[in-house]
Amino acid sequence: MKNDKFRLIIIAILTITVLAIAVLYTFESIIMKEKNLGALIPFLIPVIIVVFMVFFIKRRYKDVKEGMPMEDERSKKVITQAAAKSFYFSLYWLLAISWFEPFFARVLFGGEKLDAGQTVGGGIAGMAIFFFIFWLYYDKKGKLI
Amino acid sequence: MKNRIKEFRAKYDLTQEDLARKVGVRRETIIYLEQNKYNPSLNLAHDIAKALKTTIDELFDFRD
Repeated sequence: MKNDKFRLIIIAILTITVLAIAVLYTFESIIMKEKNLGALIPFLIPVIIVVFMVFFIKRRYKDVKEGMPMEDERSKKVITQAAAKSFYFSLYWLLAISWFEPFFARVLFGGEKLDAGQTVGGGIAGMAIFFFIFWLYYDKKGKLI
Repeated sequence: MKNRIKEFRAKYDLTQEDLARKVGVRRETIIYLEQNKYNPSLNLAHDIAKALKTTIDELFDFRD
């Protein structure tokens, strides 16, 4: 139980660190006056992670306080299956990014092509979103293998 | 896979929290087990059967 509390504190510290970095990055972006939607993508990734972590910590804190484990075999299975599904879906997402590159480049960045950073950032953001959605799905309703 | 966890839990007047604590899992796991939405590992099935003073065969219906 003491170990679980320690893990929860570490997760909270990491979440705050990610949030601080996101705020600093946005501040820097504003200073640089990047006036396009694409500038929000690197900000979107930490926001998704923070939202997920706040949700996760809130749910786990009560259990740990009541002396129950933070993780058990079901919660580990939920995370494993959500990660597997999000990886699978992110492959299609990356394909979609490469096929519709001109569309994403025009709509998000106002350019003709995406650079490597923008493509990788979009891919990671998609993966994070898929993971969050599948985690919620398997935790609430999904039949686990 | 259907089970009789709820029935046995009521027999020994245990709450979901009590059973969860006894077998070292989260309360949600007991809830999903009772709703037949989760099939436990053999280890967990054994621990639950032991906590409810019965056998795995008595507790779980493997006919599905």
